[in-house]
Amino acid sequence: MEIKSQPAPILLFNDECGVCRKIASWVKKQVQAGPGEASIVVRPIGQDPDELRALNQGLNIWDAYGTIHLLMPDGSMKLGGEAVAEVLRNLPSTRWFTWTFAIGVFGIRPFQAILNMAYTILAGVRPVFGCESCGTPSPWVRQIRWIVKWAASLFDESHHSSPSPHFTPLPAKERPPQADHI
Amino acid sequence: MPGYKSIDRIRTVTTSTFDRLLLKGQGPIVVEFMSYGCAHCGAIEPDLQQVAEMVESTEKIFRVNIAVDRELADIYEVQGTPTLIMFLNGTVVGREEGPSPDVSNILTLVRQPYEE
Repeated sequence: MEIKSQPAPILLFNDECGVCRKIASWVKKQVQAGPGEASIVVRPIGQDPDELRALNQGLNIWDAYGTIHLLMPDGSMKLGGEAVAEVLRNLPSTRWFTWTFAIGVFGIRPFQAILNMAYTILAGVRPVFGCESCGTPSPWVRQIRWIVKWAASLFDESHHSSPSPHFTPLPAKERPPQADHI
Repeated sequence: MPGYKSIDRIRTVTTSTFDRLLLKGQGPIVVEFMSYGCAHCGAIEPDLQQVAEMVESTEKIFRVNIAVDRELADIYEVQGTPTLIMFLNGTVVGREEGPSPDVSNILTLVRQPYEE
């Protein structure tokens, strides 16, 4: 497997998701506030599968959008809660508490398990916070999302109601005028 | 999602290749308007790859990434993703927004317009 060498871990984020953009922006700020060279490179996933494979041949663009990926300098990848822990380990402002993620009790790392769960929950609720591209929310999130959408529709007459639950409508301002289709 | 990661059976068309491959193309051609950031597109991807393999002798399936080629999305009045548009000899004969991620369903959708 051919891996491009890199000086710092690369954090890939979904630039179509507002929540992800905010988190990425926070990480960037923390990196910039630190001394010396960047401890993490933050970059959007983008739209080019080949460009991503050039970073790491094992990286698939669909997977990259599915869960958070941190590309390590040794060619490995950390995903989900493990990626979040590694990001926190690399940030000057948060690394002081990250030793807790390594604590193991009977083979279980409780703090890492909590972080994994927190990541799963955050990933699940992203659609509630306006990430239409983040897919069908988990059943427990759907009720909240329905209320949020209903409330939003009261103020937004251009709201597009799709007949399919497997459809991501474009933002109203980006939608072309609709004519009768076949 | 077996198989789809190794062999991509769906070719990406861009604004510059759309005319040559689709509008001047002969026979049934299905175009998926998608974007990689759309989770619903990711959900149907393995099924669409499977369908592309099943119909490859009779139909071609292409993708247009609307995050890159917005012009094509505007021309075909794409309201969101994934949207499948079925062409026959360069003319639109069918359209489906947000197909459910299921091989038999997608297979029916991409065949139906050509059977009528």
